[in-house]
Amino acid sequence: MPSENHPHRCAGVTRRSFLADTGMGFTGLVLGSMLFRDSTARAESAWRPPDGLPHFPPKAKSVIWIFLCGGVSHLESFDVKPALNQYAGKSIEETPFKDVFATADKNIVGANPAHGNRKVIMPLQTGYKAHGQSGLVVGDWFQNIGSCADDLAVVRSLWTIHNDHGAQLTWHTGRHPRELNHPTIGAWVTYGLGTLNQNLPEYVVLGVPTGDCCGGAFTHGAAYLGPEYSGVRLGGDPQKPLPFIRPADAATTAEEQLQNLSLLGKLNSLAGIDYPDDQELRARIKSYELAFQMQTSIPEVMQLEKESAETRALYGMDKPETKGFAEKCLVARKLVERGVRFVQLFHGGGGGGEWDAHADIKANHGKLANQVDQPIAGLLKDLKQRGLLDDTLVVFGTEFGRTPGAEGTGRDHHPQGFSAWLAGGGIKGGVAHGATDELGFHAVEHRHYVTDIHATVLQLMGLDSMRLEIPGRKRLEIDHGEAIREIIA
Amino acid sequence: MRLSPNTGYRPRRSALVGCALALLGAGAACATPSNKAALERYYDKFLGKELNRCTTCHLPSAVKDPQSLDDFPHNPFGDRLRVLGEELSKAGKRKDIATRLALVAHEDSDGDGIDNETELLAGGNPGDAKLTPTAEQLAEMRTRRAEFGKFMASYRWQPFERVLRPPIPNVKNADWVRTPVDSFIAAEHEERGLTPRPSAPKSILLRRVYLDLIGLSPTPEEQRAFEEDHASDAYEKVVDRLLADPRHGERWGRHWMDIWRYSDWAGWTDGKQVRDSQRHIWRWRDWIVESLNADRGYDRMATEMLAADELAPGDPDALRATGFLVRNYKMLSREQWMEDTVKHTAQAFLGITLGCAKCHDHRTDPISQAEYYQVRAVFEPHQIRTDRVPGELDREKDGLPRAYDIDKEAPTYFLIRGDERKPDKDRAMQPAVPRALCGDKLKPALEIVPVKLPREAASPDKREFVIKDTVTVSEQALAKTREALATAKPEQVKLRELELAIADVKHAALLAELRAEQLEDQGKKDADEWKDAAKEATLKQCNVALCEARLALHTAALAQADAQRVLDELPPPTEAEIADPNRAQRDKAGAAAKKAAEAAQALAKAEEQAKAEPTTAFKPRPKDDYPAVSTGRRLAFAKWLTDADNPLTARVAMNHIWLRHFGRGIVATPENFGTNGARPSHPALLDWLAAEFMEGGWKMKAMHRMLVTSSTYRMASTPDEADAKADADDLDLWRMPARRMEAELVRDNLLYVCGNLDLTPGGPDIDHMQGLTSKRRSIYLRTAPEKEVEFLKIFDGPSVNECYQRHPTVMPQQSLALANSELTRAQSKLLAKRLTDETAGSDEAFVRGAFERVLARAPTAEEVKTCLGFLKANAPPDAARLRENLILVLFNHNDFVSIR
Repeated sequence: MPSENHPHRCAGVTRRSFLADTGMGFTGLVLGSMLFRDSTARAESAWRPPDGLPHFPPKAKSVIWIFLCGGVSHLESFDVKPALNQYAGKSIEETPFKDVFATADKNIVGANPAHGNRKVIMPLQTGYKAHGQSGLVVGDWFQNIGSCADDLAVVRSLWTIHNDHGAQLTWHTGRHPRELNHPTIGAWVTYGLGTLNQNLPEYVVLGVPTGDCCGGAFTHGAAYLGPEYSGVRLGGDPQKPLPFIRPADAATTAEEQLQNLSLLGKLNSLAGIDYPDDQELRARIKSYELAFQMQTSIPEVMQLEKESAETRALYGMDKPETKGFAEKCLVARKLVERGVRFVQLFHGGGGGGEWDAHADIKANHGKLANQVDQPIAGLLKDLKQRGLLDDTLVVFGTEFGRTPGAEGTGRDHHPQGFSAWLAGGGIKGGVAHGATDELGFHAVEHRHYVTDIHATVLQLMGLDSMRLEIPGRKRLEIDHGEAIREIIA
Repeated sequence: MRLSPNTGYRPRRSALVGCALALLGAGAACATPSNKAALERYYDKFLGKELNRCTTCHLPSAVKDPQSLDDFPHNPFGDRLRVLGEELSKAGKRKDIATRLALVAHEDSDGDGIDNETELLAGGNPGDAKLTPTAEQLAEMRTRRAEFGKFMASYRWQPFERVLRPPIPNVKNADWVRTPVDSFIAAEHEERGLTPRPSAPKSILLRRVYLDLIGLSPTPEEQRAFEEDHASDAYEKVVDRLLADPRHGERWGRHWMDIWRYSDWAGWTDGKQVRDSQRHIWRWRDWIVESLNADRGYDRMATEMLAADELAPGDPDALRATGFLVRNYKMLSREQWMEDTVKHTAQAFLGITLGCAKCHDHRTDPISQAEYYQVRAVFEPHQIRTDRVPGELDREKDGLPRAYDIDKEAPTYFLIRGDERKPDKDRAMQPAVPRALCGDKLKPALEIVPVKLPREAASPDKREFVIKDTVTVSEQALAKTREALATAKPEQVKLRELELAIADVKHAALLAELRAEQLEDQGKKDADEWKDAAKEATLKQCNVALCEARLALHTAALAQADAQRVLDELPPPTEAEIADPNRAQRDKAGAAAKKAAEAAQALAKAEEQAKAEPTTAFKPRPKDDYPAVSTGRRLAFAKWLTDADNPLTARVAMNHIWLRHFGRGIVATPENFGTNGARPSHPALLDWLAAEFMEGGWKMKAMHRMLVTSSTYRMASTPDEADAKADADDLDLWRMPARRMEAELVRDNLLYVCGNLDLTPGGPDIDHMQGLTSKRRSIYLRTAPEKEVEFLKIFDGPSVNECYQRHPTVMPQQSLALANSELTRAQSKLLAKRLTDETAGSDEAFVRGAFERVLARAPTAEEVKTCLGFLKANAPPDAARLRENLILVLFNHNDFVSIR
């Protein structure tokens, strides 16, 4: 390096301090307190990226965002409608509720005519009962979750605008796949707050996400916020939970890696002497440290053998039908326990989604609910017994509901009204908010577009989505949504 | 009720604050918020506090939601501006708001004794005699006017006005100036007291310009040659060589593919349904690379991309360019397809967010919602198709995806609030361009001339090669059948004979059809010659049916015999059994017999038909026909776009080029030159470059050369304390900004520095799952929604959705990819072995060689010492492994992924 270009001091950063900064970590590499995001600050305007601090006192630290792909029947889960039994077999036109069709397509964009609203009412395909002190009514397919009723705030008045499974992406970003990718709620949370654990990614995705048809990787992407804030997919295999998590050369030892990292640190510091104000270099040195840690921290999280037999049974890991989702729920708990901000949990992913019960809903929902009911209830109970539920927000959602009318032995897509629930971090328990009409057709009381759920999450995390906006990336009012204050404790 | 994202875009709460509508009391609205924006732009921060409002030009309105000037009349000042506008327009002069404001500055429109400009700067209202500046405001006027005068004397950038070449500034630091670019940059340095950094060391400069122009690092031989060349034009020679290198087109092709949204086709992963873009779109990619290497003018490139089918309808090479339009195909929604086409054409070429005007008049730029639909009308008639290419009839296997006009009558309705469910059928929009983007010489009404297409465009299947390929395929089928007969087992001879008879007569029928078709195309449909050919075709077609019926009967008879034989071999049922156990087989045999009888009947019918006197009503061969005339709308639009008087096209293109050499655009928002975009850092320079670009025939190589040979480009990227204090963000370019390699460069150079990059150009996209094993350049790897190379994505590869500039990040996944991937490990191993062989076992020679190859520079003494220590002190398995690890570490070095 030619010496005439070497400045001795530069804007408060001296060569000496640079070397000092870069020489403190366990591998000889770590630097001071700078966050990664400092390096991507765009300097041309007064705008600066978030500082990682909440905008107001938060009620939750982490989010577990559970998503059931394909469209879960609201009628037989969290918005049970006894009227369907009463009018079973009748055409909706023969009931007092014949007017529901007048406005059926009012908000629907690009509806597939084949996915029309079915007219002959189908009775409930499962039983139901009131649970807990709150007396919240839940369909029997979800009776384990029902046993946590007093922790749940069910929103029964959601609506969305697409009648196809692209609505899955809308659930995560507020926009349909034809409008391509926009940041997911998980990306906004991590963008706003950053991490609590330097050894793990901030935003983790578990399970098989939505298929390519309906949003695919966009359902856990960060779009213009940058890949730094997109969800890191962890596979089911603890040996390969992340791309390149292990050296391709199996002979590589940790000691060898540390030797290499040590050399890398020294060489980067030497080359950096000429560029003492280079934030990218600092960030890169730091990212090597996190990457090295992730090689061991991620597989550690994925190892579940050390959990007690009681815990494993609580989630249903001892039964073949629940084992798969139980593992994911348990990993989710371990992740939030370790400070991961956002865990996105998919069930029934791929293609249009497994919950898409156009035929034989009894068999379809019966089987799938059986796979998730105990694991999710186990997760809620486990979080509670460990004191984690107080600052962990759990959200349970799907892209739309299913029709009160029969499609043969199934139910069709139904975006006009459907349900989701929230629990934990700052949420009132035992609450049902909003309502659909007596058939469960239209959301009629306290109507909420799906982004209101996003706004509620951000509110509980202490973030103001308006303040997170990036110049040149205009968001609409409906993208921001409005927090559902009635369900916040 | 709330509005849905697709039905009712309305500004969110905080956006309203910046909007004219909200600033008015009493519910009155500005008719044209863009005029207000122009007033604001003209007076900038000097506009009096109270005057950034509609009542500066209008009388307060009594109507709640004024729709026209009648509802919201002008005050005397506004009226004067309006009348002046009409006068200027009549005289054919420039009539933009800035021009008019300058002309009325010293008039007194409201007759209160104080001129318009004084009221605008100091306070009061130029259109209301009752509102005058206070004494205090007037007292401040002297200093205010002086500051404003200085502001007015500075370069006024008007991106919506045609480009006028500014003079090159005179600077003190004349020795530093190598190209006109440097004069503009030095002028800012001198204005702000900045000292430019000295030239970068030769090794850094060489690596920088290599990566910049061809995307590949210089080899040790190239490094030495440059180091040893002491001629004054040593660097210029390198630049000329790199610009002439075919790898330059690949490097810059990828940049333009970002801007023009290149995407391979996408669809269901396991099916054949194409949902986005089209198969074989790679031909457009190859056209981009070839065009750049041939230094085709940017104007010509833009025209071909938008309208090659109208400009050069018979030139398949040029037609590849329309991949730009084809790429927008969206199976799920024609609406979205058209929206993307309009939005991204405007953003890529004009740097204008025209897409904002889909649902409402543009809030900040002078573009109306109607104008959005006028631009859409330019594209409304177009569709896409795939033409055959020589040697392959199956268009799933190969073909040329291209644009063409299918429906000249396709209406473009004004969509109320942009809602596709609410077209206003009374407002069919005609093709035109936004008035505000026309500068003072162009016209919004396009000069549209319909284009008559040659036969090969309207009937591509009548092209000679398609006919030839069709005959060849038929001959091949015939030969194959013949071969099958020759090698048939005895029991299959009859079957094969029947098949051959079909193939034979099919081929004869094809030849007859072609003959008749040819005669018809020659206009001989009335001649006996044609009648004979047509009858011959009919006859052969009947024979085909006959032969097929024979085959069907043969097959059915065999099946019947088989079924009967099985039945006969079954033991007869005993009387004790109630059900007949042979029933199923009996039914089967019965059905087979019925089928055989039907086949015999069909054959009889076919024989009957074959005996009849043939008519001329033969069935023509299947082929695609398209309209013989194209509307000419897109060609007219392209002509307007590339006119030297178009204000934006050259500015936007030069800004993109600048951005990719210097890491930041002169306008930092290359996709938005409007009011909401960033203000330019060097407006005069950008205008000068745009003028130079157009006068040089829109040739890009000359502009690249001018930029990279400038002193500005050659500066070191090292910091300077005083400069950093004055301009921490290097906005005035006192040093060369360092950058991180784009994803493609990381992968390409990993392979290239080890001597393993396959430099074969062009051809079909390579499966994205082969990202780590293919040795081809990254530009050739598949990129489409859901089909992206993971390694490239991790390094912030381009979003296929839109990517007007890359935003490199630093994240741990990148570290894992470089430290752990099979690609880096395998290449490290190869290079270590190669260097070991070359350096005869000397550790120091190995270290030096490794630095030269991987980082394209010599190591410092301290670096050598550190590396030697590493090779000696550590003791994993063997020395070879340590050397491999040293290379691996250099691939992970910040200097490898950085361009200094």
